[in-house]
Amino acid sequence: MNKDEHDHKHCLGLFEKLSEYLDNELDEVTCQEIENHIKECVPCFVCLQTLKRTVDLCKQAGNRTVPKDFSKKLREVIQNLPKSPPAG
Amino acid sequence: MTVPRRTNRKKIKDKDFELIRAINSGQFDRFPELVKRYEQKLYNFSFRMCRDAADAEDSVQETFLNVFKYLKDFRYETKFKNWLYRVAASTCIKKRRKSKFAPERELSLDEFIPQDKAEVPDHVPEWALMPLDKLLNDELLDKLNEAIFTLPEKYRLVIVLRDIEGFSTTETAQILNLSDANVKVRLHRARLFLRDKLKGYFENE
Repeated sequence: MNKDEHDHKHCLGLFEKLSEYLDNELDEVTCQEIENHIKECVPCFVCLQTLKRTVDLCKQAGNRTVPKDFSKKLREVIQNLPKSPPAG
Repeated sequence: MTVPRRTNRKKIKDKDFELIRAINSGQFDRFPELVKRYEQKLYNFSFRMCRDAADAEDSVQETFLNVFKYLKDFRYETKFKNWLYRVAASTCIKKRRKSKFAPERELSLDEFIPQDKAEVPDHVPEWALMPLDKLLNDELLDKLNEAIFTLPEKYRLVIVLRDIEGFSTTETAQILNLSDANVKVRLHRARLFLRDKLKGYFENE
């Protein structure tokens, strides 16, 4: 299927499920349906690949180090807590 | 003859339970161990949710104070980390500020479907093909984190918990008090939103 034919309802139906496909949350029949479809449909294949790469990048989004001053302050607050939690 | 009562509840294995039981049995001096274990993770989560360093610090402190107060009510029916993030998410939501960068709005699937035939892709772009380690650099990660900041809160919460913090769909649903189906819908839209931002970044590079 080329881009001029890419307004098929079938594409839109599968488009909604691409994240579940990437997360292995679909049943076998739907997975197979998507796999067969993307073999023939370039726009859907591109969509799946770019979505997958987005997820890969999110997993690498990185961490900010806790500011030392805050860490120190937090420890002081915790040290000054009562010896038992308030009854509630 | 008495039949032993069967319970369907699965026994949860959790590396934190030993420490939580110790604190709950009166060893309050071990509470700082819990802070040490989760301070970094909660700071990052809170920063992504509050989008402001001072608000993130307040949220982390408030989260730990709430944990100290309510830990005795923890029932060991879920992993401690999931319970902790439920407290943290609710603390961050209460702290929310209105932002012109991430106005609260619904993301609809239609906005991610090319409206013009010229926009329908005909090849996989290089950024989705090249090895991840070759693609990654500080500028790209800054752009990605900026894009995450611009997601409306309800979508940001879900994608941060699922794709950054690594919780499963069901765990995320429990933390946010949503259905699994709702988490899946929000996650898909959040990913499509970020994908479009990344696409824009690479096309204008």
